[in-house]
Amino acid sequence: MSDHDHDHHESHGAAYFRVFIVLCVCTAISVLADLVHSVDHRIVVVVVLAVATAKALCVMAFFMHLKFERAWKYLLLAPTMIIAMALPVSLRPDIGETYYTPDVPQMRDFAEHEESLKHLESHH
Amino acid sequence: MTHATAAPTLKMGIPIPNGKLGMWLFLGTEIMFFTAFIGTYIVMRMGSPGWPTDVNVTHIRIWAGGTNTFVLILSSYFVVVSHDSLLTKKYAKAWKYMLWTFVLGFLFLGIKSIEYAGKFEHDILPGHIPENNRQAMNKIVEKYGELVDRRLVAAFPKDPNENEQKETGKKNWTREDQRAALDAQIKSLKEKSGRTPAEEKQLKEAEALSKFNSDYISLKEHVRADISLTVPYEKFDEIRKEENSRSKYPAITLDEVNQKVEELVDSKEDPELKALAYGLSPQHPILYGNLFASNYFLMTGFHAIHVIIGLFMFLLVLMKGSRLSINDALLVENIGLYWHFVDLVWIFLFPLLYIV
Repeated sequence: MSDHDHDHHESHGAAYFRVFIVLCVCTAISVLADLVHSVDHRIVVVVVLAVATAKALCVMAFFMHLKFERAWKYLLLAPTMIIAMALPVSLRPDIGETYYTPDVPQMRDFAEHEESLKHLESHH
Repeated sequence: MTHATAAPTLKMGIPIPNGKLGMWLFLGTEIMFFTAFIGTYIVMRMGSPGWPTDVNVTHIRIWAGGTNTFVLILSSYFVVVSHDSLLTKKYAKAWKYMLWTFVLGFLFLGIKSIEYAGKFEHDILPGHIPENNRQAMNKIVEKYGELVDRRLVAAFPKDPNENEQKETGKKNWTREDQRAALDAQIKSLKEKSGRTPAEEKQLKEAEALSKFNSDYISLKEHVRADISLTVPYEKFDEIRKEENSRSKYPAITLDEVNQKVEELVDSKEDPELKALAYGLSPQHPILYGNLFASNYFLMTGFHAIHVIIGLFMFLLVLMKGSRLSINDALLVENIGLYWHFVDLVWIFLFPLLYIV
């Protein structure tokens, strides 16, 4: 039934610890990416989401043991992933564009604030 | 894998135990459950220019999120060590690491509840965030009213002639009664010729409360009538009788109201008034602020519920105590799978909420 019928099971503790260290490093990279302010925000977004995906794959492959399981993992995960992606992708052209008003009070205030700062700078 | 007794029979189904298959199918549905909320968040955020991201507005602290991520990753590691120890028959070690995982789960919930407390304190709740100027002004008036009520109740908690009123069957001690009592107190203190220092202080406080109250009534009426604060409240009776009064007077603006609030909160000449106004603050509208709050609580709330369910499952294993044995390997493995999924969700929530 399971592949643990034999009496002696070898401990994989060292491998798990290595995966744990990799996960910690990835978390540290994400936090550092947030603290860096001089880079374009879109790069930060891409880096951070890539790191999150890498971490997720590590947890799924090693901690959840999927690397050593057989083809049934695809049978289970493929439909769920398809449905998971379908929602944002299908709604992107609708609600994911500006679905309400682009006239946003806090952005107007921010733009006015920036303008006034520019005037101050030019007077110096 | 199986002990061959005869020719291997044709097997239907996937070669894993039913419990494990059941857990994986459940996790499949959970993936769809959480990606619904995360997908909603992504789509709504893409469609909302000016979505609040400033930390001073959203009060989202990266340190809390980062620590929580580390806590969950550590707990995932401990679960997997616990399962591994169980398989190598080190039962005490397995139980110990399961206990650590259980404790770390509580630590996660503790940090989350500190974050939630901050949100409640700053009133970052769905439905509580003003999204345009009128909502901001109404919120200020409402908050101001609550403060006035609270201060009045603190100063005049009950009717001094209570026993008499019970006999005559008079109604309860209302706000009007409290204000009448305040006016009576001011009048009696003012008419007194020689006031002691304590009475002076009492008079100052009573006058400050009276001004606090009258400023509230004036502000409330101005906001209700949509007339600028530059028009004195005393003129309102005349204005109500005029024709086309609305078009004659300038409309009230949020900046005026916020300035009035700041005068109250920062009044240097009148420290009693400043003390009374503590709790009032200027409001700025944030469009999509309520969407942000709803999404935040939906995602993190459901995740926290899943963490709590996971903790109950750990308790199930921990209660076995010294009876924990190799026969529980499947149970521990399945609970470990669930907990890893909870960690997985958080791994995606953390960047989406705290960093992006």
